[in-house]
Amino acid sequence: MIKALHGLARAEQIAARRDEIVRDLKKETGRPVIGYLCCFAPPEIISAAGAIPYRITGRPGDTMAEADAYMEPYGCSYVRNILAQAVKGRLDFLDGLVISHSCDMIQRLYGIWTYYRPLPYSRLFNVPHQVSPWAQRFFKRELVFFQESLEQFTGATVTPEDLSRAVALSNRNRALIRELYRLRKENPPLIKGSEMLTLLLAGGVLPAEEFAKLLAETAAEVKNRTPAGPPAPRVLVWGSLLDDSTFYRLIEEAGGHVVADDTCIGFRVWEKDIPLRDDIYEGLKDHYFLNFQCPRTDRGPGVRRFDYILERAREYNADGVVGYIISFCDPHKFDYPDLRDFLRQSDLPVQLIDDNYSFTPAEAIKTRLQAFIELLK
Amino acid sequence: MSSEMSRARRHLETTRKMKDMLPRFFARMFERRFSNEPLAWCMVGVPPELLKAFDLLWEWPENFGTLCASRLVAPRFIEVAEGDGYSQELCSYVTNTMGYCKLFKESGEAPPESPLPGGMGNPAMLLGSGFVCEPRWKWFQSIATRFIDVPVYSSDPLAPPWDIDPHNPRIEAHYKELLRDDLHGQVAFLEKQTGKKLDPDLLREIIIRSHTALAYWRDTLALRKAVPSPMGSTDYFSAIIPQMYMVGEEEAVEFYREMYHEVKARVDNKIGITGEEKYRLIWFGLPPWFNLGIFNYLEDLGAVFALESTYNVGDWFEVDDLNDPLEVIVQRTWQRCVKMHDYGAETMPELCNPAVFGGFSGSRLLEEAVRDYSLDGAVMHLTRSCRAVSFGEVHTKNRLAEMGIPSLIFESDMADPRLWSDSQIKTRLHAFLETVDKSKKERR
Ligand code: SF4
Ligand code: SF4
Repeated sequence: MIKALHGLARAEQIAARRDEIVRDLKKETGRPVIGYLCCFAPPEIISAAGAIPYRITGRPGDTMAEADAYMEPYGCSYVRNILAQAVKGRLDFLDGLVISHSCDMIQRLYGIWTYYRPLPYSRLFNVPHQVSPWAQRFFKRELVFFQESLEQFTGATVTPEDLSRAVALSNRNRALIRELYRLRKENPPLIKGSEMLTLLLAGGVLPAEEFAKLLAETAAEVKNRTPAGPPAPRVLVWGSLLDDSTFYRLIEEAGGHVVADDTCIGFRVWEKDIPLRDDIYEGLKDHYFLNFQCPRTDRGPGVRRFDYILERAREYNADGVVGYIISFCDPHKFDYPDLRDFLRQSDLPVQLIDDNYSFTPAEAIKTRLQAFIELLK
Repeated sequence: MSSEMSRARRHLETTRKMKDMLPRFFARMFERRFSNEPLAWCMVGVPPELLKAFDLLWEWPENFGTLCASRLVAPRFIEVAEGDGYSQELCSYVTNTMGYCKLFKESGEAPPESPLPGGMGNPAMLLGSGFVCEPRWKWFQSIATRFIDVPVYSSDPLAPPWDIDPHNPRIEAHYKELLRDDLHGQVAFLEKQTGKKLDPDLLREIIIRSHTALAYWRDTLALRKAVPSPMGSTDYFSAIIPQMYMVGEEEAVEFYREMYHEVKARVDNKIGITGEEKYRLIWFGLPPWFNLGIFNYLEDLGAVFALESTYNVGDWFEVDDLNDPLEVIVQRTWQRCVKMHDYGAETMPELCNPAVFGGFSGSRLLEEAVRDYSLDGAVMHLTRSCRAVSFGEVHTKNRLAEMGIPSLIFESDMADPRLWSDSQIKTRLHAFLETVDKSKKERR
């Protein structure tokens, strides 16, 4: 059925049935599925080692009580939600797991998950918080350790050529994604924020070549669109992880357009190409450690660390910024006051939405978003 | 609220004597502050020996948090921070500091009224550390961004996760290189900020005194295996202060030596801290600094804590080669990490020095503790605003249950007394002691 669909309709089906699709893929190819969380451990290495990378997502609003026997109630509800999925057996198609040490919560999830629900393969990808020369050297070594552990698991030998090939494939998708993002500069944008996120979520389960097809189809489809409706306020969404398009849809229903983002599954990893250098690991390090902006990494004091957000907001003509923060998300909660002041000084209004990874009560969230969007008009 | 909170009653002469010793120390420190000698704010994880070797003055905002908490003034600062946009979910030591800093800045750099006369001073630099938790990355970054614009160095220790073998030479080299380079980075920063060169001979001397003090501390903790328990948690939690402020000083060595001998004499003479010692417990997590009297409350019910999971500074390392004193610091950090690892630090894979904070989740360490300290139960403080230390308690509870040891997890906070609900907590503690009683009888 999915094959019969095209472009966005296909992306939506894929995003809604990610687990089923990866199960099929596993059966067809006989390759193991390696789930990953966060963006530091390159999925390109997973592919090059002959496994299927699968971006693990939670189920916002789903019960988390199953996590209580293993994890404290005070903790990022996204992390608790993922653990609950694992406990409920909903992720039992995974042959392996790689979690990068982004924040404390994710790192604790690794220990608890692998202790109580061990998988045939698991790896914590350790990431320093500084970007000092020695931290960069550590990151590069960690890339090699990660690759070796995968080779051991899959039995494959990964050559630099294999890696370059995987990187070239994902860079092609980066180019296609940038093209789609450019269509959001129109007013109104030719592709909605919720549609873009759906597409990226579908990409989290597809092999790179398949994803490229989907992106190309979608680009062709949306380029033919005639701009729908009158221009409306344009927002950039900043904050904790969003792996469900509900929040963007709430903004859209409130009368705004999501035209740019700075969250985990968004422009962050796709914005720039992975540099293809003689030393492929140097390129991966630059991309996944240096260039990739996440508040968990220490970029020193001062507000210059937010310049890229302002640049992005200007580039996409955003009228305001919506912050989305999941409860107990330390990295974002710490940055919020500094960022808020910085954006206000740059004449960009900010609205913060605190949530427990459930987008409820939806009406209350929508009312606050509506008031903000009114203000932007 | 305040009527429910009570200050700690200490059991040891030595810890009671801190009342005279510390003011003397602080008076000296303030004198130097007034003559504008450079002051660093620092975090646990920054080797104080290094600061001492640079003859710096230093202050611990974390400790300031505990002090504000114990005098019940933390909410005043925390509320200022909340008004600034800092969430109540964030570490209350941090929000306490943020509120303080905001008032400090708004008043033109006059210290706001606080339990520390003269306040935390005007720092010339901030020395952070990502050791233990994430908020530490953001904490000094935000202070320097919003309030006090001075240079920051954040050190970056990492440790291998629980399922990676630290005995593998490649892994050891991988991590040690990071620890070493980071420490050298810290030294380069200090040299630049102070305009002084590190004197390795001086650092070595300081380390020797520091380690001598820590060895007494470690041996004192081992004496707590004795029944009846010779000292209590109120002694324990106050006795960490000399090592924080007076590291490398003869007076600190003297303090820990005296403490050791006092506790030893109590063990030899079977002197306990409560009438009938009915239950021997272990404490997990940070204490509620605003209500340390809760420990005495439990002692009056016959329940003593023989061990605490946090602040075990100084345990578990044995560095003999003192030739290169910086290498000593690298070695001891690594040794603690390997030691904890060998105990199976499954839910605390990342803490570089799990010996300091909450590291008791290592299963084999739990077994040892239960056996050697004759434990009957565990009380775990789930601090809402410090997940770094309290995460792992559910797991630890599960592991203890397998050994037939009951645990109670109760929720509150280390510095924010607004999260303490006295009657509810006490009801639960009473019910828990009944459970301990039952399980103790069943185990007999
Ligand atoms: S939402 Fe925040 S706390 Fe949760 S995993 Fe992501 S960064 Fe960590
Ligand atoms: S370990 Fe806990 S109390 Fe200490 S700074 Fe981190 S969050 Fe705060």
